[in-house]
This record gives sequence, structure tokens and C-alpha cells, in this order.
Amino acid sequence: MKQWLKLALLAVAGCSLVWPVWRIARALPPFGEPTGNYGPEVNRLGPPLRHISNMVSAVNFDFRGIDTLGEEFMLLAAVTGTVLLLRGIRGEDTSAAPDIIAGRALAGRAESTTVICRLLGPLTVLFGLYMAAHATVTPGGGFQGGVVIASGFLLLYLGEDYSAWRELIRSHIVAALEGGGALLFALAGFLPLAEGHAYMENTLPLGDFKDVFSGGLMLVENVGVAFAVAAGFTMLFLEFMEETRSLEGDGDK
Amino acid sequence: MSVLPWLVAAWLFGAGIYGIVSSRNFVHLIGCLSVCQSSTYLLLLGIGYRWGGVVPVFYDHPPGTKAVDPVVQALVLTDIVVGATVTALLLAMAVQVDRKYRELDPQKLRPMRHEGHQ
Repeated sequence: MKQWLKLALLAVAGCSLVWPVWRIARALPPFGEPTGNYGPEVNRLGPPLRHISNMVSAVNFDFRGIDTLGEEFMLLAAVTGTVLLLRGIRGEDTSAAPDIIAGRALAGRAESTTVICRLLGPLTVLFGLYMAAHATVTPGGGFQGGVVIASGFLLLYLGEDYSAWRELIRSHIVAALEGGGALLFALAGFLPLAEGHAYMENTLPLGDFKDVFSGGLMLVENVGVAFAVAAGFTMLFLEFMEETRSLEGDGDK
Repeated sequence: MSVLPWLVAAWLFGAGIYGIVSSRNFVHLIGCLSVCQSSTYLLLLGIGYRWGGVVPVFYDHPPGTKAVDPVVQALVLTDIVVGATVTALLLAMAVQVDRKYRELDPQKLRPMRHEGHQ
């Protein structure tokens, strides 16, 4: 399609949307004064009903837990798709020399980079674990903590070279954590069924308000999410890094 | 000033859409899609904001303090994480397109045909 035609279509689409979007925008409550009751009700009922102080986690893992289960499986599907697309063609052979591309100089690392990454990498992972563990108390949770943990692993890559990192990060363990996390989340929902309650009904002891071990079933689901997110992002990075390896029979050397 | 969040969201969305339509490279196109996506984060967070509201975490503030809407925050939170993995999936597709056709310009790629007519 010609470039001008595309832009013309975009302009037509944009112009035809101006009026409906304007109508909707006029009907929105003014900024800073939402009229919906759902959010304020969650804020009001969350602490007494679930004994937890982080309402974002309460929404994610309890009040709208099934939504998050869906999100969790979207994450799993996206990671699986990426792995299939990249590894499916490349194969599972890991014997080729990593980090080397024909025609690109192999850059070394400054010692300062290695030192800083060795210090910061484990600390970042620790901070991620802290964030993930305090999901029900302070800002944080499995999604945020998982991403921070995965970025800690990336720092380890930055400090060491790829082959050392490849030795540390085992693809099958990461894959097991990724799938296992999603499975844990899904299975946690079945626990209440055994006692005759609804799926994902929070029947575990709720613990004390402001305590790390508060929230009942949310804690289990949160661990599942933390595993799945941390492993998912590590897996993605691993697969994209594997793309830089020069494999025999790749056909483009 | 209270229309500024909506204006920024609309601007981000418009800039992203323009980038997608005029893109000459799939990697750039995927980046533009992420820009579009961030406009939805801003829109959602803007809808949930309350003047003078605190974060919906009642650790330092006692329960009952006026707080912003936690539901949209939870939506944005999961969306950011899932969006990042979907971006990775799209990039993996771009890698495959490049491997097969040696071409990343969406305007030069022809529609898919049956194997053998290529």
C-alpha cells in the first residue's frame, strides 16, 4: 500500500473518531473526582475483610483473582510463543560458542563493570524477593518483584560474560519455574473447592493486619505469580541472547 | 490543568498510531505499539485518580484515608507485565520475518503466499 494512501486512511479514521471520542470525553467525570463506587468500596472493605493493607494486591489476587489468572496465562502463552518461535528454528543445541557473531568484535568488560554488577546483581535479586514477599503489606507483589528479580539476573549477565551466565541460568529450571508458577496459581484456586467453597474463595487463615503472612490464599497465588514472572522474563532474555550465537548451518554466514 | 492527563494520553496514542502507520521497520513498529499502550496506562491511572488521595496501601495511612482507585492500578500493573512479554513475542516474530525474507520493512513485504509461489 502506498504511503500517502495509508496516511489518508489514517486521517479518515481519525476524523471519523473525533466526534464520538469528544462525546465520551465530555461525559467523563472531571479529572481527580471519579464518580465510580467500585474502587472506594474496595478500599473500604479490603482491610477489614481480608486483613491486608495493599489494596492493589487485594484486587489482583482476591477481588478480581480470576482476571489475574487470565493475565497469568496470557503471560505464559506469550513466553511460550516466543520460546517456540525462536528455539523452534534454532534447535536445542547449546554447543555453539555463545556471544560471538561473525564480523562483530568481542567486547570485553571493564573490571569496574564486573565489580559493580557482582555487588548490585544479588542485591537487586534480594530486593525483588523482598518486594514479592511483601505483596499484601506494602507496595509490591509478585508481578513487580518478579520483574525486579529478572533484572537482577540481567545484571549478572552484564557483569559476567554470556557463557558464565549461561552456566548459571539453566533453561529447563527456568521453564519449570515459569510453568510451575502459573500452575500453582491455578491450583491454589482449587483448594477451596475441596472444602465446598467457590473457586478461589479465600478460605485460608487470613492472618493479622500489617503482617507479612496476611491475606490467606493471596500469599500462595502471589508466590506463583512471582515465580512465573521472574522465570518468564529470564526465559525471554535467554532466548533472545541465544539468537546471537553462531550456529552451524544457520545459512547466513 | 485537569485536562492535561487526557491530552497527554491522546497525544501518546496519536503519536504511536502515526508511527505504526508510517513505519519502515518492524522493530520500530513494535516500539510504536508500546507507545500506544502506554497511553492506555495514563488514561486508566487518570480515571482512577482522586485529588488528595493517597496510594491505596494502608500501611502508613490508616484504613479509611481517602485513596486513589486500586482497581485501575491493578489493571495497569498486570498490563505492563503482560505487555512486555507480548512485545517480546512480537520481536520474536520480527526475528523470524527477518530470517525468512531478509527484510523488515512492512511496506516492502508482500502478503503471505503458498509455499512454492514465493
